[in-house]
Amino acid sequence: MSTYAAGLSADIGIALLGGLSVYVILATGQLSLGNAAFMAVGAYLASALTVYAGLPLTAALMLAGLASGFLGVLVGFPALRLRGIYLAMATLGFGEMTRSFFLDFAPAGGAGGFRGMGPVSTAYIWAWSASLLVGVVLLERSRLWLEFRAVNDDERAADLIGLNTTAIKVGAFGLGAAIAGVAGGLFAYHQLYIEPGMFGFDRSIEMVLYVVLGGSTVAVGPLLGATLLVLLPEFLRFLADWRLAAFGALLILVLLFRRQGIIDRGMFRGLSRRKWATP
Amino acid sequence: MRIPNEGGLEMKRRLSYWAAAISATALMAGTTSSWAASDVQSAAAPPEIEIGAIVPSSGPFAEWGKANTITLKMLEDKVNAVGGVNGAKLHIVIYDDGARPAQAANLVRKLADDDKVLAIAGPLTSSAAEVAFPVANQAKLVATSQASSKPGVAANNRPWAFRNTVDEGVLAKSTVPYFKKAFGIRSVAIVYDAKDAVSTAIANRVMPAIVKDNGINIVNGASPISFNTGDIDVSAQVTALKGLNPDGVVIGADYSQAVTVIREMKRQGFVKPVIGGTPLISSAILKAAPDLPIVAPATYYPGVEGEGAANFTKDLTPLLRKGSGLPAGIEPSMYDANIYEIVSMYVDAVRKGGVALQAPKLASDRERIMSYMTGLKGFRGLSGPISFNKDGDAIKAFFVVLGKDGKWTEQVRGCSGPDGKGC
Amino acid sequence: MLLQQLINGLTLGAVYTLIALSFSLVMGILGVLNLAIAELFMLGGYCGLTLIIMGHSVWLAVPAAMAVSGVLAVVVERVAYRPLRDAPMIMPLLSTLAFSIIFQNVAVNVWGSDPLQLPDALADARLSLGTASIGIMQLAVIVVTVLLVVALGVIVQSTKLGRGLRAVAENREVARILGAPASRLTTAAFALSGSLAGAAGVLIGFHYAAITPYVGVDTGLKAIAVMVVGGSTRIWGVLIAGPLIGVAEVLSVVYGGSAIRDMVVYGLMILVLLLRPQGVLGGSSMPEGERV
Repeated sequence: MSTYAAGLSADIGIALLGGLSVYVILATGQLSLGNAAFMAVGAYLASALTVYAGLPLTAALMLAGLASGFLGVLVGFPALRLRGIYLAMATLGFGEMTRSFFLDFAPAGGAGGFRGMGPVSTAYIWAWSASLLVGVVLLERSRLWLEFRAVNDDERAADLIGLNTTAIKVGAFGLGAAIAGVAGGLFAYHQLYIEPGMFGFDRSIEMVLYVVLGGSTVAVGPLLGATLLVLLPEFLRFLADWRLAAFGALLILVLLFRRQGIIDRGMFRGLSRRKWATP
Repeated sequence: MRIPNEGGLEMKRRLSYWAAAISATALMAGTTSSWAASDVQSAAAPPEIEIGAIVPSSGPFAEWGKANTITLKMLEDKVNAVGGVNGAKLHIVIYDDGARPAQAANLVRKLADDDKVLAIAGPLTSSAAEVAFPVANQAKLVATSQASSKPGVAANNRPWAFRNTVDEGVLAKSTVPYFKKAFGIRSVAIVYDAKDAVSTAIANRVMPAIVKDNGINIVNGASPISFNTGDIDVSAQVTALKGLNPDGVVIGADYSQAVTVIREMKRQGFVKPVIGGTPLISSAILKAAPDLPIVAPATYYPGVEGEGAANFTKDLTPLLRKGSGLPAGIEPSMYDANIYEIVSMYVDAVRKGGVALQAPKLASDRERIMSYMTGLKGFRGLSGPISFNKDGDAIKAFFVVLGKDGKWTEQVRGCSGPDGKGC
Repeated sequence: MLLQQLINGLTLGAVYTLIALSFSLVMGILGVLNLAIAELFMLGGYCGLTLIIMGHSVWLAVPAAMAVSGVLAVVVERVAYRPLRDAPMIMPLLSTLAFSIIFQNVAVNVWGSDPLQLPDALADARLSLGTASIGIMQLAVIVVTVLLVVALGVIVQSTKLGRGLRAVAENREVARILGAPASRLTTAAFALSGSLAGAAGVLIGFHYAAITPYVGVDTGLKAIAVMVVGGSTRIWGVLIAGPLIGVAEVLSVVYGGSAIRDMVVYGLMILVLLLRPQGVLGGSSMPEGERV
């Protein structure tokens, strides 16, 4: 594999984690437009723990994931009060606040960015991405996931049948944030330099796009979405000045004609022996 | 998310296949066209000098990227018109990174592996260089930025990273004394773009130290006034500046943001001389408030004298003005001059010999370019000799220019070498 | 100087008010966050500035910019909203975002990425107000904003169109059953919202005498904050929220710097969402957000 292909594949691995972080939160019916903030926290924390405190990267990534997850839980509680587009806007605000915080946070370099990380292999990145993907796929086959979906489909009914909807929604936020935190740490080690501008609104939106384009009903959806969105700008190079417009147009086409994303559960029904409980 | 009705209408399903087919065709068209391009290359039997370039032809610096592209095409034509170098034609592979760091890093990998280039010119922005230079270092491939001036970006990625730019700290040592003398400055106030790394470095680190060394008082030293890239309204910042009543204003911002600040200064009747770093240099800023003097350093500006620079300006200007998506009155920028010099250096390295231009010797060819750059002495740049210091930054002539009444005029000529020598 | 800063804040607030009103029209009536509005605002500015540079008068430039943005808003409605009306709200959110990517790309290719500047500021004179002063253009921005808001008020409150829009806002299905042409009203809401964004763009273009293809994004996000603070389901809240955020922003710049500023603006937005989701001016009812 050429280093170019390896670089793109590492990008896909990290994007996949970004997508999964949105995916698990979305599974409970909550849309977060601020996941880049969790990614930023993970990126800065993992970098600081290794560069300043000399921790091994794997341990630092775990800690970064935990810390982001904790922050996710903290954000998840007030998020309970909000639904739909209001939650989306509140998370957007949270994302912008976090970006502005790092912009002004001198110990992490502020606008000047942070460096000092060492290179990691694509295999290392994919080891994390693949394990977390498998983890989410396993989660999807668990009873807990049925509870996630139940909260998504009808929260009041879920409440009535005795599900702890608060724990489920806040937990999903925490889990998603933790995945985003790991993604951030890997991102920092893949790019070797981070600055607040890398974790803005457009990054949060990209993470949502991986899910919505790839498919929001199966965990492999974000995988496909991440692959397409990382490769598409490269494939559209021949359009030169118009490649962003072409990207926008393709995005609209997919949204119009594949609302459920390119992959959906229906496609898997024939392939899998397991009976899906389709709502 | 509510799961959409999976059944759907037959019509919709058919449409979705169409959409898939269209996107697939679009993708295929993309890949086939690039295959076609590489076929043409391999069909050409004599060796080619493959040079890579990374420019931001889309995104916030699109104008610079597009102008860079035209500059490189001009250089390519010029070299090939006289039969290339030692019988080998020059071929510059130009990619657009949209000023996005991650894309710049991938493009370095692509140029290194797929295009097998000898060396890379670019990327343009400091953020992209921060991410792309380590990749070039790993790939053992020279990359030289045409614009990055954030302190220390090349120094962190030696020995393969270079910048054909001068550190802002070196330049400010000449601009500040001129500014003080020409306008009788005793006090300044600082305003800067807090979202931009170069601007923050200029306003928070570089300028305060040098301004103080020159005995100028910074009236808002403890609390510099800041705004963010993309702000359209800086009236509050300018009112605050005006309230401090300084003799002059230090602006840490690139020219497109500085335009907003200068326009607002004019509007509030606060016409005071302005000083900044290289990011201020552009023809756009001259239109903002022609009666407000702007002092900045440049290694090239369109009116610069000297045979090399004058010819460059004369040849490039009409080509740029024909270029699509560029303003009718555009003039060559400092970054066009820089990238022109960078690729000229690579070509000169090939001309000097020792570069085999054969696939099996690619690694040693790249090594050869690196040692050429490291040992460069007195390369004939557009406005004087160029060499590189141990940080990978250029030692070259620069000018302190004054922008007023719609044009830049040279005030002081300096050299970025130690003690001002080496140019 | 404080008085001067208040004037600066009010001007900025007027600009935010117009864009926020544009967001809020579509959000309040249809429950959709049309992200393309940020770019309609930018394109309106470009159209207006281009016409002025070509030597046309302000009286042509402003309506032309409003018309262009209004028409583009209808295109967005037809392509990106209408087919996805019944889809989860994230779909129109992303499809309108896709439009904003396209619009931005078009602007860069047509006008370039450098700021487009007016050769001379339109009206540079200033009126003195004791220790402070106000520019003619600043005054014009505030006055035109008030006029447009009043005009919109008349449309929404006292015309057939307005009654229809309010009916759709209450309950689309019921409105349709009662004979309101819901689909035409939707188009009208988008068109009105687009032309407001265009007006905001052209006013800003004239006031600052310069525009870039990237002004939309950040200003748009701020305007969303203004809309939320004003109460996203009630159009009039932004009249208070715009100047409020404008002044808060200006004061935080003076006393804290730009980093604090964004914290203040978005912090205020989150606080309002959590504590008073109906907005500072809203009634007692809490809007039931659409399920994701």
